[in-house]
Amino acid sequence: MKLVIDEARCKGCNLCLLVCPYRIFQEGTKANERGIVVPALDRPERCPNCRLQKLYGRTLCGVCQMICPDQAIRWDDEAPREPQKVVIEF
Amino acid sequence: MSFRDWYRVDRLPTIYCAGCGNGTVINCALHAVDALAWKKEETVFVSGIGCSSRAPGYISTDSLHTTHGRALAFATGVKMARPDLHVVVFTGDGDLAAIGGNHFIHACRRNVDMTVICMNNWIYGMTGGQGSPTTPVGASTTTTPYGSAEGVFDLSELAVAAGANHVARWTSYHVKELARAIQTGLETPGFSLIEALVQCPTGYGRRNQLREVSDMIEFLKTHAMLLQRYRKLVAEGKPVPAGIFTVGEFVRRNRPAMGVSP
Amino acid sequence: MTRTEFLQGNVACAEGALAAGCRFFGGYPITPSTEVAEHMALKLPKLKGVFIQMEDEIASLAAVIGASWTGARAMTATSGPGFSLMMENIGYAAMTETPCVVVNIQRGGPSTGQPTLAAQGDMLQCRFGSHGDYSVIALSPASVQEMFSLTVKAFNLADRFRVPVFLMADEIIGHMRERFTIPDAVEVVPRRPLEKGALPFAAGPDGVPGFPVFGAGHGVHVTGLTHDERGYPRATSPDIHQELVMRLVHKVESARREIADYMVVNPGAERVFVSYGAPTRTVQQVLHDRKDRTLGHLQLRVVWPFPEFALHEFPDAKVFLFPEMNLGQMAREADRHTDVPVVPIPRLGGELHTPALLEKTLEAHP
Repeated sequence: MKLVIDEARCKGCNLCLLVCPYRIFQEGTKANERGIVVPALDRPERCPNCRLQKLYGRTLCGVCQMICPDQAIRWDDEAPREPQKVVIEF
Repeated sequence: MSFRDWYRVDRLPTIYCAGCGNGTVINCALHAVDALAWKKEETVFVSGIGCSSRAPGYISTDSLHTTHGRALAFATGVKMARPDLHVVVFTGDGDLAAIGGNHFIHACRRNVDMTVICMNNWIYGMTGGQGSPTTPVGASTTTTPYGSAEGVFDLSELAVAAGANHVARWTSYHVKELARAIQTGLETPGFSLIEALVQCPTGYGRRNQLREVSDMIEFLKTHAMLLQRYRKLVAEGKPVPAGIFTVGEFVRRNRPAMGVSP
Repeated sequence: MTRTEFLQGNVACAEGALAAGCRFFGGYPITPSTEVAEHMALKLPKLKGVFIQMEDEIASLAAVIGASWTGARAMTATSGPGFSLMMENIGYAAMTETPCVVVNIQRGGPSTGQPTLAAQGDMLQCRFGSHGDYSVIALSPASVQEMFSLTVKAFNLADRFRVPVFLMADEIIGHMRERFTIPDAVEVVPRRPLEKGALPFAAGPDGVPGFPVFGAGHGVHVTGLTHDERGYPRATSPDIHQELVMRLVHKVESARREIADYMVVNPGAERVFVSYGAPTRTVQQVLHDRKDRTLGHLQLRVVWPFPEFALHEFPDAKVFLFPEMNLGQMAREADRHTDVPVVPIPRLGGELHTPALLEKTLEAHP
């Protein structure tokens, strides 16, 4: 699964940065169309949920999704044979 | 089904400020409701007025957004008329303890079977940052520009004294414990209060040197002390560090309750 | 089985509610309405209904509104001071179109006033007491039989128009005992349910939306904020607010003739008494004693929305004499609607108008 930040919802509060045990979320650099600086992702494949949700059939960790006040974080299925890289989507 | 399926997605993003703890508490509440496999048609969310009370507008169940402070009275009516429905109340510190204080203690006394989630941000956020009955002494708000000089309610202790069956306090930083406490509250028959201390960077933080979201979260993280540890310190006569607040489960008991589904 | 009873007005009101299917009562004791609550406390549990004494009148009406959203016919009863407390939630019921019945056994005011004596001083308050523009229905019984029948009617009107309906009685009618009949069945017109797929606050053909009862999967969001047809808050839209408030007012005002309930005696009269509630009895006594066909009587059972067309049932009227136990609250409303002089006959202090008092007024207006 891949970690996705929904840019239509993110308000740039950076709470996810504070809680991720793997420090996957980093301060973003550029403001998007809405003027929000969305966090950047540093090697999101380290996220246990990305790697193991399919295997265990439940959400692992998931604290970022719980704490995000705008429900902007989700995990999506990857397309088959997509390179292991997470994309921030609109 | 996950907790995200309970949201009215056509109403997102919320009106909440960036970094508001209310969004987090709603996530935890829906997580708990979903974990118990409750059905949307059997759940009703009730709220008063304030930032906290906008929450039901984002949840896709039947919901009642009522008048300031009176959410518990409306919820009592809903629950007593249809005890088979699950009733969850979202309220804030001002809504629950100031204007709603009377309804609060009576709902605890009656021990009506409902779960009340109080988003306590120590301020009146929606109206622009006025002091509330939980604003810490000395804090600066728009109606206490010289520092608050009034005493402060401990909402959880109030609920325990008034007779609630289950009372717990956590913060919006402790998401897992908060979700678990809400779930316990939903399962416990009788009145259950979960007080969630949340950050309000715009209303409270900005005037009290905690403007950054991270500052307020740090504050919540470092000033929370587990109830057991606090009680042990007090029992041993050791000094308690200044400015801390307790978190944890205050009480879980079995007083007779009203409106429990047969 | 139809039965004849000899009971107090307040008890008859409670019996009317039960006959109409009321199964939720949330109240708070206040003289002179307490008997309504006490009778409901006695009877409701036997009918698998819910009686709850709340901590104050604000909570009482709140609980009634909450129960109404679960589909129950719900009622509360109070008097002046409690009525003033309920104003915010009355506005909430009007805004969210919640059917409910509020009984006000009026007593001397203002403030604590005369708890054990009658008055009709809340008539304008029931129509305009809450902030903002909205419309309500108010009924006024003048006998113990009407305490029963108008309570039944109140529930039907509340469900039909989805408004709070007021039963504006007074301490005299509430506490007097008379013989009255309880029929074996009364007409019950329940709420129109919301059709699947329809928007919860979209006006039906008559301006009244179908009722999206809780627990039926409608997922309705009910709010006191200005809302659109989905029920979602749209507080910053001038158009939506205007549309909503106009519909709330119009749905009742446009149905004035359908809602109206009044009794005309001697329509050819030149001097006409207009009355509602307890003073009706005095007027009836005067007409009975005089047997004078040039004296007319218009008894209003529905007071709000005010039935101005009822005044036109007296084409030869030269004067309308309006006895009220207040300083002319409804007389001023009647005055707006007719060029015929309206003479208020106020009486404060808690005692009913006497026939002698009305005779004196008749002498002054030959």
